[in-house]
Amino acid sequence: MNHQRRFENIALTCITLVAGIIWIFPLYWAFVTSIRSEDRVVSEAAGLLPDEFNISSYVDAMFNTSLIDWYINSIGTSLIITLVVLVTGMMCAYALSQMQFPGRRLLYGIVLASFMVPAQALVVPQFVLMNDLGLINKWGGIILPQLVVPVVIIVYKQFFDAVPKEMKEAVVLDGGGDYTLLFRVYLPLNWGITTALGIITFIMSWNAFLWPFLVITTEEMMTIPVGITQVNDAFGVAYARIMSVALLAAAPVVIAYLIFQKKVTEAVMISSGVKG
Amino acid sequence: MSGVKLTNVKKSFGEVDVIKDVSLEVPKGEFGVFVGPSGCGKSTLLRMIAGLEETSGGRIEIGGRDVTDAEPARRGVAMVFQSYALYPHLTVAENMGFSLSLARAPRHEREEKVREAARILQLTDHLDKKPSALSGGQRQRVAIGRAIVREPEVFLFDEPLSNLDAELRVQMRLELTRLHRQIGATMIYVTHDQVEAMTLADDIFVLKGGHVMQSGRPLTLYDDPDNRFVAGFIGSPAMNFVNGTVTGTDSGGITVQAEEGSLRAALSGPKPGEGTRVILGIRPEHLAPVSEGGLPVTVEVAEELGGNSYVHARSASGADLVFERRGSRDSLEGQKLHIGADADRIMAFSPEGGRLR
Repeated sequence: MNHQRRFENIALTCITLVAGIIWIFPLYWAFVTSIRSEDRVVSEAAGLLPDEFNISSYVDAMFNTSLIDWYINSIGTSLIITLVVLVTGMMCAYALSQMQFPGRRLLYGIVLASFMVPAQALVVPQFVLMNDLGLINKWGGIILPQLVVPVVIIVYKQFFDAVPKEMKEAVVLDGGGDYTLLFRVYLPLNWGITTALGIITFIMSWNAFLWPFLVITTEEMMTIPVGITQVNDAFGVAYARIMSVALLAAAPVVIAYLIFQKKVTEAVMISSGVKG
Repeated sequence: MSGVKLTNVKKSFGEVDVIKDVSLEVPKGEFGVFVGPSGCGKSTLLRMIAGLEETSGGRIEIGGRDVTDAEPARRGVAMVFQSYALYPHLTVAENMGFSLSLARAPRHEREEKVREAARILQLTDHLDKKPSALSGGQRQRVAIGRAIVREPEVFLFDEPLSNLDAELRVQMRLELTRLHRQIGATMIYVTHDQVEAMTLADDIFVLKGGHVMQSGRPLTLYDDPDNRFVAGFIGSPAMNFVNGTVTGTDSGGITVQAEEGSLRAALSGPKPGEGTRVILGIRPEHLAPVSEGGLPVTVEVAEELGGNSYVHARSASGADLVFERRGSRDSLEGQKLHIGADADRIMAFSPEGGRLR
């Protein structure tokens, strides 16, 4: 029995190790490519192991592209999106969970239904709308369509629904209203959820490509994922430079992930319905 | 001056009438207990007094003020919930001072009131702890402390001891009695446990199906119930009921043929005629083995409690009858004997449940 279990453990370890290598290889390859000179990248002599440490592509990316602008745009839009999505999502979920008004169920049905509409299906009408509002090539144009995140409303509602009714009644007897209830009781009770949803919303908006790619056409207004395409255009096929920008683009999210690893895992589990 | 007065209060949920025309009064400073089986409307009535349920009809007054349509926070009531409803993210002190912080009371006033409530409830050493670090009894005390800090005219308790174990429940019952004497506020307490009702109440209100079946001092309800329901609900073990037929009447009472035996019940009022069906009610402590007359029974089981025991016996028709014995050590199990009670200890009820006096 023990021998069999040991064999199973070794087999499982090997499988996960192989899967891990397959998963990490593109990242490893991007890093190895980014620290090679452009000539070396396309040379037949380039092997699997890092054979030089050349940071010229990083220097180029930092000083010969609009990387700093792209960083600012990405950080600015992602932070605003995260903040607004959390506040509006939370308030919407509170209303749907705790307040009695005509059409409440219908409204929740619409929220659920909108969850099922793919973002790609909306790009044309959204683009026309942003154009009519004069928001093309503006932060507003990037931000507005990304402010509706039904999963945030759904997750918050689930958690608000689970708060015991007596807690609400205790607040009412203590003289508190809906704002007291939401901001002084429900929100602090669900800080973990807010953090998790905040992280996942930030990562989603940081990584967003299709919409910012459509709504922004000037280089200085681009977000990082869109900016990567410009590195390609401006310098021809410069693999090392593309990889260095891609790694720099991913860096803040990777750092955030390493710091909040547990919370991110929790967020993914919550939003995929494993928990809650 | 009245503490809480309800006049013709009604509550309906759609077609269902949950509270049907209830009028009652808990005088200022008294401890009133609403007791009744599940679904009798006792918690709904309490929540209506708190303002957590709207009133479908009638009038609710607190301290002489009509509060029927007033907001819960403006009624001068504080409520202690069964689940405690403490805010888990706040410390004990913050929980207790929450209502004052909402009312923007000055910090020193808030701290002083919290400290005083903590002193009364022996929570001074726990003020900086979160509720999760406290035992069930301590959490319940924090919930009571939260109510005390508000200095309400009326304290409302919704089955506050149900989540505690038996030992702690007894201890908290005593603490509540002590607290009531100490602060002297009007208190209304909801429970389905008639022992809690008997031990805590100045006045008990027995509810059934949205009606108050009887109200009064605990011992009055115990000794002189108005109907079969109250007689059966108040008292543990419950009163024994025996169906029978009147076989004789005289100036002092009636003789009833029941369970292949005969019992006499003392009645001072009008007597039911011979052949009338009646229900006799006898408390376990009044029922005892008798040498002649009484009801023939077979003893099945005895619950030995040390000082006394409750003997469960079965009658000829299969009815379970319980009687109490004190200080006896001999087992009666399996024995056939006759049990009976003094005529003035036997109550008679009509088949509809009304008391025959």
